[in-house]
This record gives sequence, C-alpha cells and structure tokens, in this order.
Amino acid sequence: MSPENIVSIRDLSKVYQQGEINVTALSNISLDIRSGEFLALMGPSGSGKSTLLHIIAGIDRPTSGQCMVQGIDVTQLGESELADWRNQNVGFVFQTFNLIPVLTAYENVELPLLLTSLKGRQRRELVMTALELVGLGDRARHLPKQLSGGQEQRVAIARALVTDPGLVVADEPTGNLDSQSAQEVMAILQSLSRSGSKTVIMVTHDPKAAAFGSRSIHLEKGELVDGGSGVGAQPLEHTLRQ
Amino acid sequence: MNTATFIAKNALRNKRRASLTVLSVAVSCALLVTLLTLQRELTIPPESEAASLRVIVRNKVSLAQPLPAKQLATLDKIPGIVAVSPFTFFGGNFRDETVTSFAQFAVDPARFAGLIVEGKIAGGSYEDFVKDRNSCLVGADTMKRYGLKIGDKMRFTGTFYPVDLDLRIAAVFQGTVDDRGVFFHHKLLDELLGDIGTVGTWYIRVASASVANDVIARVNKAFENTAAEVRAETERAFQMSFISMLGNVKLLIGSISSVVVFTLMLVTVSTMSMAIRERFRELAILKALGYRRRELFSFILAESFGLAALGATIGIGGAWAFWTFTDLQKLTKGFLIYFEVTQRIIATGAVVAVLLAIIAAIAPSIAVARMSVVEGLKTLD
Repeated sequence: MSPENIVSIRDLSKVYQQGEINVTALSNISLDIRSGEFLALMGPSGSGKSTLLHIIAGIDRPTSGQCMVQGIDVTQLGESELADWRNQNVGFVFQTFNLIPVLTAYENVELPLLLTSLKGRQRRELVMTALELVGLGDRARHLPKQLSGGQEQRVAIARALVTDPGLVVADEPTGNLDSQSAQEVMAILQSLSRSGSKTVIMVTHDPKAAAFGSRSIHLEKGELVDGGSGVGAQPLEHTLRQ
Repeated sequence: MNTATFIAKNALRNKRRASLTVLSVAVSCALLVTLLTLQRELTIPPESEAASLRVIVRNKVSLAQPLPAKQLATLDKIPGIVAVSPFTFFGGNFRDETVTSFAQFAVDPARFAGLIVEGKIAGGSYEDFVKDRNSCLVGADTMKRYGLKIGDKMRFTGTFYPVDLDLRIAAVFQGTVDDRGVFFHHKLLDELLGDIGTVGTWYIRVASASVANDVIARVNKAFENTAAEVRAETERAFQMSFISMLGNVKLLIGSISSVVVFTLMLVTVSTMSMAIRERFRELAILKALGYRRRELFSFILAESFGLAALGATIGIGGAWAFWTFTDLQKLTKGFLIYFEVTQRIIATGAVVAVLLAIIAAIAPSIAVARMSVVEGLKTLD
C-alpha cells in the first residue's frame, strides 16, 4: 500500500447466500483511496456500493480479498478489535440520520466518547467543538424531534467527527434532505476533505452530491465499471454530464 | 451524560410500558410474598421449648373419634408423664357469629395448669377459674378483639355438639403461641352431654424432651388391642398432621407461587424483548460507533434489572407494609392472627426479582449479539 493511500482494497469479493442461491454483491474489486480524498461511490441499486462502503468501514465482512484501512487489514480483526477500531478510526453518516430519539443533540454526539477514558470536561469540549463545527452549538440541548432534517444530519456529522477519525463514511447522506439542506451537508463534508484532515467516502445516487467529491467511481453488478485500482475513477465533469 | 443516564433514558422512553411493567412486577412480587407468608403461617410448627414437652393423644382411627374418659387412670400411671388433662374441641360460634372464629377447648382446669408452661395469667385469677365450673380462661387476643373484661359472659352456640355454653370470664392468659383460645371445664361439657364418658384428646406434658419418644411409645403400647387404640405424638407433629387434613398446603401454595413466578417471567421477558426489538436499529448504530457485545448486554441487563428492582421494591415493600400494619385478625375474622413477612421471605422475593431480570435480559442480548450492524440498520423504525 502506498503511504498516501488510506484505503487499499485487493481482489475483494462478497457473496451472499440466499437459500440455495448465491448472490454476488462484489466481485474482485481492487481500489486505492488516497488520504484526504472525497470519493463518491456511485451506481444503480444493487450494484454493491453500500456493501463496499460497509466493508471499508468494518461493519461487514468480505467473502474473500483484502481491505487495508490505515495500514490495518480490517478483514482480519476480531469482533471486539473491530469495534474498538471503528470507534477510533471511522465516523458514520447515514441516510436516515440515526440519532437516538431520547437523547439531546449534545448527548448523541457524546455517545462515541463514552467508550473512551476522557473525563466529562474533556468530552464536553470535544462535543461542543464538533457541534459548533457543523453550526449547531446553540442547539445542543434540543432533542432530534426538535430539529429539522438538515440539522439532524449535521448532528450526525458532528457525532461522526467527535472522535477525530481519519475516515468518514456517508451512505446517501442527502437522501432524506431538501436541496437546501443537502447543499449545506455536502458543503460540510467537502470542507472536511479540503482541509486535508479527513478522507470522506460517500455512497450516492445523486450526481449533484457526487459533484462535491474530488473523485467518483461507478459500480455495476458488483464490479468497478472500468475495473482496477483507482482506474474506475471518472472526472467530475463526466459525472455531471451523466 | 454518563452510562447510567443513558440506560435510564432508554428504560423510560416508553413511559406507559415501563409503568405497566413495573406494576406487573410489583403486583406479582406482592402476591408471591403473600403466598410465601401464608405458606409459612399455615405450615410452621410450634417451635417453643414447651411445645416439645407436650404430647397429644388421639384416637388411632381418626381425630374425630372420641376416647374413653377412663383412659385417664392408665395415663396417670405411665412413667415420664408430669401432667395430663382431657382436651376436647368444642367448636362453638361466639354470640351471633356464623363461623367459629376461635377455638374453645374443654379441659380439667386443675390439671391443665401444669400443661401451660410458656403462658402467664394476665388478668383475673386462675383459682377462680378452677373453682367455678361455669367459668372460662380466655386468651388476651380474644379479649382485646371483642372488648371483653373479667366477669363478662361468653355465649357459644354448639356446632359440633348439640349443646350451648354460657361461660363467665374468670381469667385471661397471654404469651402462648396462640393467645386466642377459650378453655372451660370438661365437667360442664360432660354434664351438658349427659356424662357420655368420652374426651376428644388427651393433652400430656412429659418430664423432658429426651423422654418424649419413650412416653409416646408407652402410651401407644398401653392402649394396644383395646377398644380405643390411641396415637400419641408431639404437639408439633400433631399440628403438622392437622394441617395435612387441609390437603398438601405446601404443595398447593408452592404450585400457585410457581405459576405466579412463571407468569411474571413471561411478562418481563416479553416486555424486554419488545423494548429491545423496537430499538434494534439504534443498537446497530451503537455497534457501528464501537460498542461491543458485552457493553450492549450490560445496557440491556441494567435496564431489565432497573425495571425489576423498582417493581420488586414497590411490590415487596408494599406487601410488607400491608401485612405489618393491617389488623389481620379483624380482616380474616380471626383465621389468621400473625402474618409475619420475614426477612427470609423478603430475600426470596428479591432473589426472584434479580433472577427474573437476568432471564429477561438473556434472549434480547443473544438477539443483539447475533445481529450484524448491516442487518440492524435495515430494521425499520
């Protein structure tokens, strides 16, 4: 793996067993993602893009192949090691926000920090910094139901950032948002990547959202369209034309 | 926020369900404690030292069969017997009552004094009782319950015998296991019945606990092959066999208690399963954020334990307070006087609640442990 690559995938396959039928979700994928990149994973439904994202984030396991993230082969980690690794290295942003409804914005963002040995005051500083980064410092005491969809997604982004992970994965982050909120959310994700501190991998159907990325790759039927390590990348102009 | 706050917020997120769960645990625990206390009250043998010195002699055929009064002469001669008195259950209804609220026994007052070791005379005069064949000796609890005083009349309508009693209260006793009974002259009963020459049972005091078995053997042997063979046994054994006439109380109450616990378990397991099932997606999120199986199990167990502990505290505490501060004698028309919720019963209730919390947490925890993050995220809210 090249030193500037944060993710290096080789011959990755994922086959689901559905009864007696084998369904291939990913077939021999090889891909490199550079540190600080904002990569858009595109493709039709069932193309395997979410599966690929889940394997990179360590919440799913491949059938075969290697997936090195920050120098660690996540496919080889045990259940508990993987949980620790996710806590320290990956931030998650989901389409449906997935905030805990009984917790305030502050408490939702604080959740990943409860697993650390940080003291209450240190946690408070980190949580407030993350909330202010997404422009919601004044909404810390609000419950999710008291926030708009865009604000909920920004809280989810703050939760993804609060442990300062190197990698942020986003699965259709604008899928449930109006265009204005989607723009705001994408701008935040883009700024994370542009500041060079985070690598963002985003699954999306939306070419407008993909346009915020620095690179996009396309999957179809579990394969990269052009195949190869980073060869599937297409220029943004091409994506927008599509 | 800390972990405890997080668990409490989760447990109380559906307030109606949490309240109903706590209430069902509370009611079940109260019922369980009540049943265990009832079982103890009905089956506990007299444990005083004096009880081990007393022997009751009854007809071998059945308790309902009388014994010949002439057996007294034989009993008087048996070594090891310190005192012996006839002891015949009258079973009358006091005043206008339609049930026998407390027992009345016909005894020989002169001999009976030597049988009561642990009690004392708390009012009136025992000599007065001995001298007046129309008088009676009354337990302090009955005196208090009916507001009676020395010299008052007590009228009993016979239900077992076809005669009524009209007695004057001569003395009051207290300090025995059961301070409810009324004792009167056997001679009065004999007169009223026309001197039929029988007694219900014989009540014996032996010289020491160590000779009790020998005395029992001698008494049984003395009346072997007579028209009225007897069965002698300690007061404790007699009471236990008397209770067995009600059926196997222990088994009956034990069975009901088991059903209560089992139902309680089903309610709690079902509630916890529902509560966790509807949060599968959130638990998947927690897994994605780095929470491990053991942490999620701790959350579920703590939530289950919290609900069960709250319910148990309300239920067991409520049952203790109710049975401690209620006038049970009045409530049960004298059937129960003492209904003590012991520390052991409280501990049993608490242990059941703790076990319940653990059992209720197991199934949801297994489901969560097996769930992959991806599967959990696909779960609908």
